[in-house]
Amino acid sequence: MALLDLCRLDEKINLKPVDTLASFQNDVLGYSQNFINSAQLAVPPFANPVETLAKFNSKDETGRDIKIEFDHGTTTLGFRYKGGVLLAVDSRATGGQFIGSQSMKKIVEINDYLLGTLAGGAADCVYWDRVLAKQCRLYELRNRERISVAAASKLMANMVYNYKGMGLSMGMMLAGFDKRGAQLYYVDSEGTRTPGKVFSVGSGSVYAFGVLDSGYKWDLTDLEAQELGRRAIYHATHRDAYSGGIIRVYHISDKGWVNISNEDCSDLHYKYQAEKGITEE
Amino acid sequence: MSILAYNGGAVVAMRGQDCVAIATDKRFGIQAQTVSTNFPKVYRMGPTLFVGLPGLATDTQTVHQRLKFRMNLYELKENRVMRPKTFSAMLSNMLYEKRFGPYFIEPVIAGLDPYDNQPYVCNMDLIGCPNEPEDFVVSGTCSEQLYGMCEALWEPNLKPDELFETISQALVNAADRDAISGWGAVVYIIEKDKITEKHVKTRMD
Amino acid sequence: MLSVSENFPEYAVPGAKQVRFEPYADNGGSIVAIAGDDYAVIGADTRLSTGFSIYTREQKKLFKLSEGTVLGATGCWCDTLTLTRLLQARMQMYEHEHNKSMSTPAVAQMLSTMLYYKRFFPYYVSNILAGLDAEGKGCVYSYDPIGHCERSNYRAGGSAGAQLQPLLDNQIGLKNMQNVTVAPIPREKALALLKDVFISAAERDIYTGDSIYILIITANGIQEEKFELRKD
Repeated sequence: MALLDLCRLDEKINLKPVDTLASFQNDVLGYSQNFINSAQLAVPPFANPVETLAKFNSKDETGRDIKIEFDHGTTTLGFRYKGGVLLAVDSRATGGQFIGSQSMKKIVEINDYLLGTLAGGAADCVYWDRVLAKQCRLYELRNRERISVAAASKLMANMVYNYKGMGLSMGMMLAGFDKRGAQLYYVDSEGTRTPGKVFSVGSGSVYAFGVLDSGYKWDLTDLEAQELGRRAIYHATHRDAYSGGIIRVYHISDKGWVNISNEDCSDLHYKYQAEKGITEE
Repeated sequence: MSILAYNGGAVVAMRGQDCVAIATDKRFGIQAQTVSTNFPKVYRMGPTLFVGLPGLATDTQTVHQRLKFRMNLYELKENRVMRPKTFSAMLSNMLYEKRFGPYFIEPVIAGLDPYDNQPYVCNMDLIGCPNEPEDFVVSGTCSEQLYGMCEALWEPNLKPDELFETISQALVNAADRDAISGWGAVVYIIEKDKITEKHVKTRMD
Repeated sequence: MLSVSENFPEYAVPGAKQVRFEPYADNGGSIVAIAGDDYAVIGADTRLSTGFSIYTREQKKLFKLSEGTVLGATGCWCDTLTLTRLLQARMQMYEHEHNKSMSTPAVAQMLSTMLYYKRFFPYYVSNILAGLDAEGKGCVYSYDPIGHCERSNYRAGGSAGAQLQPLLDNQIGLKNMQNVTVAPIPREKALALLKDVFISAAERDIYTGDSIYILIITANGIQEEKFELRKD
């Protein structure tokens, strides 16, 4: 104990048994702190979680491969045009090269006027979107008006910025309609937050951009915009192994968001092939 | 990512009653990027002999060409067609020559013996350890999924049309749960005096 | 370059040795859950193993959380135990606070949040939750290790998950079938299918076998069943 005092270790770490932990209830709470404060996650018992986890993520004591594979992979896109904002996403979730799901919802309905898209780590995006939804609702109750997209995106960026460098992986778009009109923001886990007209995020985004950029103009009609978004995602699912499933299209205007369509990639593929006059393959 | 999964792809072969079937997907990709959707990994090597070479695409092509070369030499020298079992031994030897710098392919062989019409299926690891079971063999990036499908769907003494249905369901459903296989499929049904080639419609994502 | 200790262990000279902490173990096991119109069935094999040796042939991996909810968990068994004890404690707290038991969708969301809490040192567990929802319909929720959760009607997880899932897609999701309409499957068929898929898993996956412990959840409570698998 003398050495302990000499090193002043007790000032740095709390070595005394905490009696609050003695009670059962606090013990449980200690293992799920994020139920009290959703932005507070467990601190890992090691420095630098990105590298340390990668080391754990190889073999167990018998030499068997340990693979913690989080659901990943996406193509999402969003653009602003004359008629509001259009969002289109795929629905595949892959863990490694195994397709975990073909029906994931990659657009989160935060409230009637605000949508978030998810790319990157599925759990990361869903969790933080849920926290954001809570914050936005609280804002609404406190201020008796809906939160602006700018404010919502900043809340998000600030929350995840606290965990920068710890291995969160997310690239999301926030789209909505507020006093300033239709808004579109890109926010990612590195702390970037930027407004813009045309975005595409995820492993298939390069393919989506190819279609999107060639067809995009401000004066698109609603139908043209929907078809552009759908086609861009379709081409991305065709070329990118980690995108696929169902193509969901959402539109946001001054009346809030509407889910335009949820179409299976496979049906779309054969429809587009038929339009080109190709019936075989 | 393993070098065997760099290009993606899957092959499966099954035994039936007096027939065998072999099926392959058609994707050629470079990791996540799908480059071609017309790259079957199964080649016809004789009247009733097929070989599937899933794995690294460059080795698929090289091994196919070298196999063809060795087979031509055999047939010129012996003046008779090669039995599937002989073909397996030849391929196994060829792969083991490169024991310490192997071709990154895991072959599947399917055929009917040209002399007694016995069905034959075989697969190997990348350095040529052969495995000749009585039921089915699988190989490629979705081999786990294929094992699950085949183990449940396959039964003894399937007729050619039943065998086609079984093998195509096995391949297509397995590839649908693998990101880097699929994009079309080809099935070959090998009977005594008939080879049927069928292209199967699949999901293209 | 050839490393002596890696390639020729018998010639290695004892010397400086790096000791690493390996906090995770993979204890194997598979789970399959199928939901129907008014029931849910969930089955897990009972083999608990490490590497090539078997700890026990009769480890139940299903946890009855309430009258209408069952959790199946495989992976690192110590993580499973911690997680399920915590889950049970939180459910008890909920029950005392609200004077009712948690609905399956509520448990599903809670589990997701609890898994995400350990984002930077995850529970190495593959979870599948089965039960009846508020309307009495069967539901199945599946998770990745850090809490991404999705509702579906059928799901396979654990060491043979990749082997079983395409078969369920085909037989229950009726994927790649022509001229069929997707309809909820009757309970007997679900049960038979569940046994069938485990038989094929036991053939090819060394971490799955011995027997299956099945729970059938209906409005009348939870029924138990056991089915023998191969033991080699």
